[in-house]
Amino acid sequence: MNRRDFLRMNTSGSSFRARSPQDWDDTLGVTAGLEERPGQLTRADALHLLRRFTLAPTHDLLAEIEGKTAQEAVELLLGPVYDPELNPEPLPEPPGPWVDSTEEDPLEADLITRNQIEKRWENQHDMLRQWWVERMHAETLPAREKLTLFWSGHFTTEFTFDDVYSVPQLLYRQNQMLRSYRQGDLKQFVEQVTLDGAMLAYLGGELNVAGNPNENYARELFELFTTGLGWYSEAEVQASARVLTGWKASKYNSAPAPRGMYKSYFIPEDHDIGAKELLGGIIAARDEDFNTEVLVRRDEIRGMIELIFALERNDGREHAVARFIGEKLYHYFIYSKPVAPPEDFMLQLQQRFIDNNYNMRAVLGAILRSAHFYEPAVRGVQIKTPAEFMVGFARQMGASPATVATAMAQVEQDLFDPRDVSGWDGYRAWISTKTYPLRAAFTRELIRAIPDAQLVDWARRFTGFDDAYLLTAAVEEFLLPRPVSTERHDAYVDALLTGETRDYEWPEIIGGTDPGSAALRLRSLLTAISRAPDFHLC
Amino acid sequence: MKRRDFLKYTAAASAVAAGAAQGFRLGGLPVYAQSPPMLGGNVLESDKILIIVQLFGGNDGLNTIVPLNDDNYHNLRPTIRVRPEDNPAQIAGSEAYFHPALVDSFDGGFLKLHDEGRLAVIQGIGYEHPNLSHFRSTDIWLSGYNPRDEDIFSDPQVRLLDGWVGRFFAHSIPTFPSDLPSYPLAIQIGGQLSLMLQSDAGDAGIAITDPERFFSQDGGLSADEAALPGVDAYEKEYNYILQVAQASDRYKDEVKAAYEGGKTTIQYGEGLPQQFGTVARMISGGLGTKVYLLRMGGFDNHVNQAFEGQTGFHPALLQQLSMGISQFMADAVNQGFADRVVGMTVTEFGRRPRENGSRGTDHGTTSVQFVFGERVRAGLYGDNPDLARFLKDSDRNSNLDYQNDYRRVYAEILEVLFGAEKADVEAILGKQFVHMGILDPAISSVDNPFVNQFSGAALRLSPNPSAGNVSAAFELKRPAMVDISLYSIKGVHEMRIRHGMFNRGVHSVHFNAPNGGVWLCVLEAEGRQIAEKLVVLR
Repeated sequence: MNRRDFLRMNTSGSSFRARSPQDWDDTLGVTAGLEERPGQLTRADALHLLRRFTLAPTHDLLAEIEGKTAQEAVELLLGPVYDPELNPEPLPEPPGPWVDSTEEDPLEADLITRNQIEKRWENQHDMLRQWWVERMHAETLPAREKLTLFWSGHFTTEFTFDDVYSVPQLLYRQNQMLRSYRQGDLKQFVEQVTLDGAMLAYLGGELNVAGNPNENYARELFELFTTGLGWYSEAEVQASARVLTGWKASKYNSAPAPRGMYKSYFIPEDHDIGAKELLGGIIAARDEDFNTEVLVRRDEIRGMIELIFALERNDGREHAVARFIGEKLYHYFIYSKPVAPPEDFMLQLQQRFIDNNYNMRAVLGAILRSAHFYEPAVRGVQIKTPAEFMVGFARQMGASPATVATAMAQVEQDLFDPRDVSGWDGYRAWISTKTYPLRAAFTRELIRAIPDAQLVDWARRFTGFDDAYLLTAAVEEFLLPRPVSTERHDAYVDALLTGETRDYEWPEIIGGTDPGSAALRLRSLLTAISRAPDFHLC
Repeated sequence: MKRRDFLKYTAAASAVAAGAAQGFRLGGLPVYAQSPPMLGGNVLESDKILIIVQLFGGNDGLNTIVPLNDDNYHNLRPTIRVRPEDNPAQIAGSEAYFHPALVDSFDGGFLKLHDEGRLAVIQGIGYEHPNLSHFRSTDIWLSGYNPRDEDIFSDPQVRLLDGWVGRFFAHSIPTFPSDLPSYPLAIQIGGQLSLMLQSDAGDAGIAITDPERFFSQDGGLSADEAALPGVDAYEKEYNYILQVAQASDRYKDEVKAAYEGGKTTIQYGEGLPQQFGTVARMISGGLGTKVYLLRMGGFDNHVNQAFEGQTGFHPALLQQLSMGISQFMADAVNQGFADRVVGMTVTEFGRRPRENGSRGTDHGTTSVQFVFGERVRAGLYGDNPDLARFLKDSDRNSNLDYQNDYRRVYAEILEVLFGAEKADVEAILGKQFVHMGILDPAISSVDNPFVNQFSGAALRLSPNPSAGNVSAAFELKRPAMVDISLYSIKGVHEMRIRHGMFNRGVHSVHFNAPNGGVWLCVLEAEGRQIAEKLVVLR
């Protein structure tokens, strides 16, 4: 066999980009598929589900889902079913009245005015990301915000790009839109994203006009948002850019706002009315009389989305969008290593997309109820994202999230402002010699800052809290994804019983009226656990 | 054998002697399944340093090195063109001009660097079957593999999992990755560790963003745990995190000592220049690190790339680039390490010749590359592109053809700067590439110690043009190891004609060119190359 042949054997149809290659062709070795996981969730199962589907386990949620079936637990965590158009989900209160404030176009203004506007925007971006962190922290069903975060990293926009800014008011509206559609119909979702104001501004849509197409959005729509590489030609990117001509968002008080401030609108004369041939279909040329917002949106935008969702090959064995989004979900919820998930699982998942007509709640639920998800090999293999590591830990400990948004930005998850249009790389990219010390410092500071009494109350919620050995084991189970060795357990008990404390003295310390003494020892335990590599895993 | 194993063997050093290695046949050349250890000298004993500046987003080559006297350029770019009155600087003896921002930066900028013999400019750098995705094309550049090289990878979707620098270290250091020096082999300023620095055997570098912060971190970041023995995903992720924690501890002192002991003699500017200042300080302080990777984003200028008079975003980026390199070279000369350093820019692609309707440019193919350093042979390599065809309607969205395969420069750096042999290059890059002569003064027969001029050429091809049946004649001054190979005009190895010891005197070898077209026939005697163009008419 020559090299060409053995390389061919190992190639895959998937186009996911791999950036951290070590041991890259190993998978989890799990054979269980998408079939329902039977029976009630044990405490370990419930903790696993909370680690992956929410930001981190908390006492409250653990108490709610332990002993339920996977079906019941997942439904509970997803919350009630809404329809973004008929029965919309109530949205969180905005971060402040500034979300309706307006500015003139800073690029048209003099330099001093421009600086002032951009200063306000920077400030608003800070408020916006802190607002979102607080939503994640306070949300009673945090799986929903974890989904918002998933989509935010998928349908990406950046606050800072080139030398300009995304308007924070548009980013706020986009973020709320993600909430409305996060569990819904993916085709509707893509349509919303395509005409979203922040997106039109970010990927050149507002400058994409008949005769002078700007193909930035069209390319990313395929490559990053729906199909991935390998499903379309350069000519189809150019044809899609023409389909997308003619849309703008009003974002400055110095510019027209025919549909109101911060709304998208259609400009017929900027739309390319010629025929477009793409993805095995033709979007017909239109008469000027039919060049209207409603008709173009229906025939061209939706028409193109239908063509994208219809892409398939190998006699239907591969459906572009179901594959691409399914793989992303697998990496987000099961194992983020950038390799192709098990083929059998992906085939089953793809079928779920199709059977449910791309309803995301159905697809997500299927993953999190699956036998595959609960396999032992799946547990603890996921590297915590900054959101899981920081917001999650603050939630678990009942600690304030006041510094979290800034800390997350330092470890490279700057909400509303990922590094580039591909979103966050994830997996091992989260852990480097740069980020690791900062993650450690964050944890140390958070543990230090929790008030004594609160820390003791937290510990007293564990069954057997007045037994040093049982408490240590319970905290390990709560904070680490897999059981630890006897040696480590003994070392953690020693950490709790710091300062020559005897095990028989612990009940008196934790039960006493002075929380300082117990808190000192609890901090010692938490610090020891937080230094372990598996504290970064979930 | 699986691809992974192939990469492992070609990347990691092996104890098998060169003569005993088994070879796959690839394009007529043996590719070692178990590569011999580095044939060149040990990189750890070299004091040479490579600096790579990554320009993310796709730098617009046409507005970097400007074909000012070509009317087609001005017609294709009515709003963003560089005009004569913007004062671009002509590169002596050519029709190419430096963008004014490259010159108006620090002490004459690129023009002075070039005129003083420290800057080479390569036009038309790229690769076969260009990909217009930022991410895919970046991976191709950083990995040093073009997955569309048909005789290397058959599948365009094949994942690119490691980088050429990572593979170089893994290949050239026999103990990699278990026994490494006390300094990081490579340092990346900012961000998550690049694909370029990864290898199948492990990472070959660290990322630091803020040196002060990296140095001030507390010690004892890594837990006392040992690596877990298993090989499942959980153990691998656990061990990865443990290894980063230990690296954070280990390299801190060494890097800090160099940084604090080092100095700069230049007041560096903001942005990229500041990154260069950090590098200069670490080199000055005696850090042994061999490769530095700097990164600069913002080149994806679909919108408002430049305004009249060449103000705007892209000119500002060029100015920063020129300032960074110029300041660094001045500092290096002052401090006496200029002859140890070679630097180069890389960018994933250039931009479309025709501007889009948004005062910007869409994704294109080839771009320009800069190589700088004391030992660089300054000059312009490659020609201004032929732009006439892009004015035709059928070609309005077409892209430039490339002139030089991007790995020619990599190969030359590996061989000339770091002393690798041809077989090492082949193990690292999968192929051989003919030098451009940027570092290597040997693409001429002048002063060649082995090859005589005779009949007006050092390598005489006849007939030329030919129908394919060619004889190559040359005269040796003394016995030498000679390799005669045919390369594509872009510099990629096509076939080996002869290889072996030749006596002094006149020799003639006969061969059949595989296809019609223009080829480079390269005679290499004891590491010195002589190239002649061969035209084959078929």
